[in-house]
Amino acid sequence: MAARDEVVRRLREMLGEAALAPDEDYAKGVSWTVQVPAASLPEVLGVFKEAGFYLESMTGLDFQDTLEIVYHMNTYEPRSRMAVRVLCPHDGEVPSATGLYDSALWQEREVWEFFGVRFAGHPDLRPLLLPEDSTERPLRKTFGTVHAYRKREEIYG
Amino acid sequence: MTEAVTNTGGDWLRLIVGLILVLIFSQLNALFLVWLERKVAGHIQLRYGPMEVGPHGLLQTIVDGIKLVGKELITPFKADKKLFVIAPVLVFMPVLVPFLVLPFGPELIIRDMNVGLLLIFAFSTFSVLAILVGGWASNNKYALLGAIRSVAQNVAYEIPLLLSVMSVVLMVHSFKFSELVMAQQRIWFIFLQPVAAIIYFICATAETNRAPFDIPEAESELVAGFHTEYSGMRFGLFFLAEYTNMFIVCAVATSLFLGGWHGPFGFSLGIPGVVWFLAKTYFLLFVLMWFRWTFPRVRFDQLMNFSWKVLIPLSMLNLLVTALVLKFV
Amino acid sequence: MAEQFAEPVRQHLYSLNLGPQHPSTHGVLRVLLTLDGEYIVEADPVIGYGHRGHEKMGENRTYLQFMPNTSRIDYLSGLLYNHGFCLAVEKLTGIEPPERARYIRVICAELNRISSHLLWFGTYLMDLGAFTPFLYCFDDRENILDILDRVSGSRLTYSYCRFGGVTRDIDDVFIEQTRAFVKRLRSRWKDYHNLVTKNVIFIHRTRDVGVIDKDLALRFGVTGPNLRAAGVPFDMRKVEPYEVYDRFDFEIPVGEKGDALDRYRVRLEEMEQSCRIIEQALDQLPDGPYRQERVRLKVKPPRGEVYFAFESARGQTAYYLVSDGSPYPYRCHVRVPSFGNLHCLTEVLRETLVADAISILGSIDIVVPEIDR
Repeated sequence: MAARDEVVRRLREMLGEAALAPDEDYAKGVSWTVQVPAASLPEVLGVFKEAGFYLESMTGLDFQDTLEIVYHMNTYEPRSRMAVRVLCPHDGEVPSATGLYDSALWQEREVWEFFGVRFAGHPDLRPLLLPEDSTERPLRKTFGTVHAYRKREEIYG
Repeated sequence: MTEAVTNTGGDWLRLIVGLILVLIFSQLNALFLVWLERKVAGHIQLRYGPMEVGPHGLLQTIVDGIKLVGKELITPFKADKKLFVIAPVLVFMPVLVPFLVLPFGPELIIRDMNVGLLLIFAFSTFSVLAILVGGWASNNKYALLGAIRSVAQNVAYEIPLLLSVMSVVLMVHSFKFSELVMAQQRIWFIFLQPVAAIIYFICATAETNRAPFDIPEAESELVAGFHTEYSGMRFGLFFLAEYTNMFIVCAVATSLFLGGWHGPFGFSLGIPGVVWFLAKTYFLLFVLMWFRWTFPRVRFDQLMNFSWKVLIPLSMLNLLVTALVLKFV
Repeated sequence: MAEQFAEPVRQHLYSLNLGPQHPSTHGVLRVLLTLDGEYIVEADPVIGYGHRGHEKMGENRTYLQFMPNTSRIDYLSGLLYNHGFCLAVEKLTGIEPPERARYIRVICAELNRISSHLLWFGTYLMDLGAFTPFLYCFDDRENILDILDRVSGSRLTYSYCRFGGVTRDIDDVFIEQTRAFVKRLRSRWKDYHNLVTKNVIFIHRTRDVGVIDKDLALRFGVTGPNLRAAGVPFDMRKVEPYEVYDRFDFEIPVGEKGDALDRYRVRLEEMEQSCRIIEQALDQLPDGPYRQERVRLKVKPPRGEVYFAFESARGQTAYYLVSDGSPYPYRCHVRVPSFGNLHCLTEVLRETLVADAISILGSIDIVVPEIDR
């Protein structure tokens, strides 16, 4: 708990109260959700790194108006998981977290090949799970059969 | 046959008959050992092993042999073709020679040479050359790694093997198998030379590339080691040679340490010598199989350390003590 | 371990493809090794040979239709994945399964965990060159498969859980068989220890080999028994108790330094703890319905998202589901533990021998299709 509170305190100072949303009863499986502008992502993840969090999961969401990268950070304490969300335009760039977390090396490669999000500063952006020569972005809603392609506020609004 | 032996051409006839017997025996023995190994493995592993072909699967290996003969001999595109073909022959030929001097019974030595023991070790080291040739010629990295490992391992284990044998030779003053065995009529050398016997057996396991020292063909690491690229009967020859080699090292162990054709402490119990000899040899073979299905594999550097840092000093010491005791007692 | 070896001379480097066809890569994994003699200079795991696009399939199916997929992500602990997915959807939708169903799920999940660990035990020893323990384990594992087969109708890909319960109720025969199995497994520990744990070759092959310490685990997101072997008591069943795990008395086994021997010990001890959980669950098993009757076939969760983490046999696994209010998930992401566990090998394998690479690869217990998804 201590590590989580420390992170929350520092992020409040850094980003302001509005960026953080608590989830008291852990209904979504995360205790806090942090909305971060892409530019300040490295600093935010740095705060997590210093507090002893690891990058548990990283994935993308494709909306009509934007892409969103969701980082789930966790530490070895009960109920500490926090979500860091970054919005990114469809042809945009997100700073890479590889300098902070080695696990980002593969996870960013995965998000890159499936969503086409470029990670600025990633040393080795090759496809990971897809064939080496693939150019498709399979998890975008423009690929294959999809049931819905929505705007972000239709789900989170 | 006794008649033939007494007349002048007898020596030649004896040799030819002997050679034919050796060929038949070594083949049947290898087939039997393969079956035995599968049976032993099966029973150790809570299963039956081969059961379908013949009673208790006895004919299984013959059927397997036929299958191997029927298979296509694949030569990799970039292999060194000549060496690749020669290697299996090279590995199989030398393993037949030691049978000529093995003392199966008091009258059952085809040629009782006075350098019999040396001959066996000279020819059994030959197989490592064949493995190197086979591994190199395959032009496969796994095969090459297996071959390299094999050479290093054989060099390391030849030394303690010979040193441990030397201490027995020192006691008998002979390389001749008949004399080595005769000297054990009263008491087997395993009781006089327990350290040498144990070292010999460990080294013999390593020499024949058997688990836990089977690193040249370590299945889970090097796929199949030096014979990765071999198929059909070429693979079969490697396979048969391995089992024949096992028989030879166990037969040598029997004649050097377990009294050869003698019963324990001079009691033969009315059982013919050749039965004693084979019984002891097959018991040792069973122990080798027991090892294989019980132990994990050692790592390459551990294997080398064990030989150079433990076995070689120990066998040297054993030899020294033997020499001192023989001189002063 | 490394200081025991001489400083490698970087002269004749060559590369070796370990896999995709290789006896000990546990599926289709390829590790591109750069070797110096037998020393590994660099290891680059190449994955994706078994990529089936489960996440995309998830978006095209209703929640229930995705259930069979979940047990195919990690085919060795399929029921655990079913269970986790069920819990995630239940949390998203707000379905409350009856008490009895919760216990049944826990019993079956723990049985599945034991079977997965047993298989790991066998294959790991096989990687080390010992063939016999493999068949001993399979003998035991077969019992579990029979038990689960009887109740779920399949041996590997169970799809046993449903939103709000399970497909079929368990009966007295199941309880009897499970109790008999737990008893039998306990009587087998002695064999395992005599055959493997006390074996001097085994100890020398595993001690100080492939150390994954806490720092490395943190950087690469290593979880599960591999993390616990490094001394971190981090288990979702304790840290974020789901289902009814908070009602049982069990321990989280931890190691000391995170070498292969520690990982081995942790997994062996975990099987014993799973046995304890099963016994307690059987003792406490309540009567009542085994599934919630009023659950629609096409579940329609409200708009929103859920991130549900649970402990599979290989570590922390999680489903991240985003719902747009339709019967189809808008996004269905699976966080698989083997992903991080394998990734850390790029660091661990450096300066080791090829033989150790196989041993380490086996000791971290990866299932490649799980990584590929």
